[in-house]
Amino acid sequence: MDKSVMVVGIDDSDHSLYALEWTLEHFFSTAPGKSPFKLVVVHAKPSATTAVGLTGPGAAEVLPYVERDLKIIAARVMEKSKEICAAKSVKDVIVEAVEGDPRNALCDAVDKHNATVLVVGSHGYGAIKRAVLGSVSDYCAHHAHCSVLIVKKPRKTAH
Amino acid sequence: MERGIAVAFSSIPEGGAMGAEEKVKVRVMVAIDDSGESFYSLQWVLDHVFGSQNNDEYLLNIIHVIELFPSYVLPGAPAVFPSTSIVRSVNKAQEENASAIITRAIDMCTQRNQVHINTSIIEGDPKEMICGVAEQMKVDLIVIGSRGFGKIKRALMGSVSNYVIHHAKCPVLVVKMPTSKAESLNA
Repeated sequence: MDKSVMVVGIDDSDHSLYALEWTLEHFFSTAPGKSPFKLVVVHAKPSATTAVGLTGPGAAEVLPYVERDLKIIAARVMEKSKEICAAKSVKDVIVEAVEGDPRNALCDAVDKHNATVLVVGSHGYGAIKRAVLGSVSDYCAHHAHCSVLIVKKPRKTAH
Repeated sequence: MERGIAVAFSSIPEGGAMGAEEKVKVRVMVAIDDSGESFYSLQWVLDHVFGSQNNDEYLLNIIHVIELFPSYVLPGAPAVFPSTSIVRSVNKAQEENASAIITRAIDMCTQRNQVHINTSIIEGDPKEMICGVAEQMKVDLIVIGSRGFGKIKRALMGSVSNYVIHHAKCPVLVVKMPTSKAESLNA
């Protein structure tokens, strides 16, 4: 039987790594190696131009440095996610980095791998922050072509 | 404003003694109404989450929220107060509907796997009740269906899944029905 595919979206934040750990703990821990899901970890690396957002003079000089930093961050994030998977002894994993806006990149990855579930972390922004900064999890929940699991990191000050 | 909450708990442990409560590590809550999408989400959970044999550590909570009657009052429109007999008959119909839904859900579960089930029927505003009960029961995962509305429909008719995503304190899984199935169901 074909395994269903689960795509997990990762960025540099703690929230998305927490989402990855949560997913592994709840969906992959019962019988490692015999889980019904195939895991694909996707890191959406923003391109240098979107990250910098400048069009003034001097932007062209800054871009190579920004690009290099983004590449370093991307590599570190992918390493971290491989470590987390190895720690939970999940071997059937694909880790890939995609360039571009995370919202579209994740939805495209869902289509490309024909995923049944997309897992994203959530920063837990309130309504205003969400409107200003945008919310990848919101976008994915509404636009992905598959079921979407949004994992929130519990706040430390919960009482 | 919420009325008093009428909570009916019926616990149906499947294939396990009462002592299984201590072993429960993961509580999953599935919200059901009478739409095809919510039953699809229940089926999805049974297929993908409870697929394996060892379901002892999971507890499945099925919740159905009965929406209170005078919830369609438009702001600015003259208030219409239905007579008490109408309210009573609507409530009765809603309760019968609710128990039919829950029975159908339980049948679906028993057909598939051995899994511990807990059911609840609650009155109130669905979105708030789902989040509230999930917090009370300390569930680890809320599963909710999505009717696949676009932005405008969602703004006009309200979206329970949207509210739950933003306000729940625990992870939320929104199950979407593949569009071809949705069309055949709603045709």
